[in-house]
Amino acid sequence: MTVLPLHFELPEHMAADNFLSTLSKKIDFQIASEHYAIKTFYDSFDWRLYNADILCELNQSKTASHISLIDRNSGDCLALENQQDVPSFSHQFKDGRLKTKLDSLLEMRALLPLCQLPHQVFHINVLNKDKKTIVRIKLEEYEDLASRISLQPLKGYEKAVARISLLLEKSFELTPTQGSILNSALKLQGRKAKDYSSKLAIKLDPELRADKASKIIYRDLLKSIQINEAGTIADIDTEFLHDFRVAVRRTRAGLSQIKQVFPDKVMTHYASFFAWLGQITGATRDLDVYLLNYKQYKAALPESLQADIAPLYAFLKQKQKQAQTELAHHLKSPDYIKQLLAWEQYLKEPLPKKGCSSAANLTIKTLADQRIWKVYKRLIKEAEEITECSPAKVLHELRKTCKKLRYLMEFFQSLYPDNEINALIKALKGFQSVLGDFQDYEVQETSLKKFSEEMMVNKVQSNTFLAMGVLVQHLDTKRCAARQDFSKQYALFKCEQNKSAFKTLFAPQTEVKKS
Amino acid sequence: MKIIATYSIKGGVGKTATAVNLAYLAAQNGYRTLVWDLDPQGASSYYFRVKPKIKGGSKELIAGERELDGLIKATDFENLDLLPADFSFRNLDLVLDARKKPTQRLKQLLQPLSDSYDFIFLDCPPNISLLSEAIFESSDILLSPIIPTTLSLRTLEQLKKFIKENKLKNLQLMPFFSMADRRKNMHKDIMTTLSEKHSGILQTTIPYASDIERMGLERMPLGGYIKKSQSTEAYQDLWQEILTTIKLK
Repeated sequence: MTVLPLHFELPEHMAADNFLSTLSKKIDFQIASEHYAIKTFYDSFDWRLYNADILCELNQSKTASHISLIDRNSGDCLALENQQDVPSFSHQFKDGRLKTKLDSLLEMRALLPLCQLPHQVFHINVLNKDKKTIVRIKLEEYEDLASRISLQPLKGYEKAVARISLLLEKSFELTPTQGSILNSALKLQGRKAKDYSSKLAIKLDPELRADKASKIIYRDLLKSIQINEAGTIADIDTEFLHDFRVAVRRTRAGLSQIKQVFPDKVMTHYASFFAWLGQITGATRDLDVYLLNYKQYKAALPESLQADIAPLYAFLKQKQKQAQTELAHHLKSPDYIKQLLAWEQYLKEPLPKKGCSSAANLTIKTLADQRIWKVYKRLIKEAEEITECSPAKVLHELRKTCKKLRYLMEFFQSLYPDNEINALIKALKGFQSVLGDFQDYEVQETSLKKFSEEMMVNKVQSNTFLAMGVLVQHLDTKRCAARQDFSKQYALFKCEQNKSAFKTLFAPQTEVKKS
Repeated sequence: MKIIATYSIKGGVGKTATAVNLAYLAAQNGYRTLVWDLDPQGASSYYFRVKPKIKGGSKELIAGERELDGLIKATDFENLDLLPADFSFRNLDLVLDARKKPTQRLKQLLQPLSDSYDFIFLDCPPNISLLSEAIFESSDILLSPIIPTTLSLRTLEQLKKFIKENKLKNLQLMPFFSMADRRKNMHKDIMTTLSEKHSGILQTTIPYASDIERMGLERMPLGGYIKKSQSTEAYQDLWQEILTTIKLK
């Protein structure tokens, strides 16, 4: 059975009134209501709802206001609530289907308005000779976009809706439309859906000169820094700062790992600028993480102590606010703005005909092979030296090497066959996460101890310190578990299959032949 | 899913008006609601402007050759659907009688709808027959309008006796006064006497009112053409009382 088109677009020159007057000559209908309304679309900055094929819209009129989640493909309503204003975070919604759905998709990300569409809505009932409604039509007349018609079939009157659909398509020559009005509205703003993702997707030509390719990589990272800057300053949600810092860290890794492609002076200067940027954003991020973890902290405590941990939340919140103010101050400072502009300018400038070093003159594929292979070998060497008694510092160093390797592989992903490099990145991620856990638990333990000292001054109840003590104990158990898991995860990573894949993809031909 | 049958042995007591208006209120409250017009006269189908006709008639329906879901029609009101009547329903008794366990049949037919509706109202024809028994077996609530006349006492007692004799333990009988005229002393006296004798009678009384009579002209539930009147309030109170009695409020 062919799928019946239920959504149509009116030609731009056709006003709703004209359409209705023509329609009245063909069928009997009654306008049940006509009113002015505003439709506002919402999504997270990184399009989490759209990526899950869901649209979130707030429809406000004089008499009603409701928020709904719509299946982007079928147009079906998945959840609907009466709601005057849209809260930023899913946990601020009242319990129900809408909240459950949003919770799982948005996590810590805020809902942001994408575009607002004022329009006139007509609810039309198509009637049969008994004046019974057999099809409902919704006509939305927008100011700057083509009007839209949606047919709402009624149970038991399937033939009627088929007849109306055919009438609109054939007699009125209306275009059936699949895409949401959101796509048209975004187009009008010069935007398109999914125009931001925190994932790197840099396309490189393998034959490109290494310094030129490096500029492409840094430009991509700079764009990510710039696009997340306003949200970081405004503290809309924690992920703006997170993505901002990831782009900074990737830039730093690039500057230290894609060696000698730019003059030393440039490399040193910007390495120190981005190191500063990493440092001034660190405190806020750490506190964000503690606040995001708070629920788990509380859940880890025995029930009798769960209420006692509350002062820690207040303390973290206040500290985060302070750190955020300082961070915003830095990101608004003339010095920061000047430095970032200069970096942007440098990346835009054309490069000299001949690169500044032999590395700069290599093709990017050759340089990528060399760098990834070298860092991979270093990682294996460092990991092999780790024993049961190795201090935390050594594991921390190994984690840093892992990150460097991961970033290099992500920068140069487009130079290698997709499935092969993706499999290796995935394997590396798994290994990295055990090192990350180990490090994070240790840092959290140390910080909690430090926080308790600071909180002593605030006359906090002794039970809070007791709860924090239990929490430190809990984190320590988890840290030990991560430490014990290390050898297992490393064994998985260094398996023969991964080893030979790394070799085939990145090792110089001479070494491959030797084996 | 709760199944409410509006039933009386007598005709012209306000069964259809009760089914249609209460179903309308349930739907307005957000409950997914269905009215099944079991009366061959098709009065509730008429009120919803739906043709009293179903494909295959009572034979195919009772034989299970057609799923009920495929015969349902949306009404003009949100959350409110109708399963229309058919003239062949006058033979429902005969069709049921030809089956094994005839009194279980309606229950079996309604079972697949349990996920789709919160309330199903059965608008029943006036008599006491095999169909009535099948209705009693499938319903949770028997909502029985009583006009305050001397005969009503007899009718109510007959119904109670029938329920007892047939061991319909899961069926909750809810009689209520319908078409009552408070200006008539006789109505008032009978209502007082009956309420004293029978503890299960609901508190709410539906008055005899011209706006309810107008349903036939307007061809829609009361709430569709009147915002607020003594009658709309009475149905509202009756619905709330039912919800409270079944503890859904």
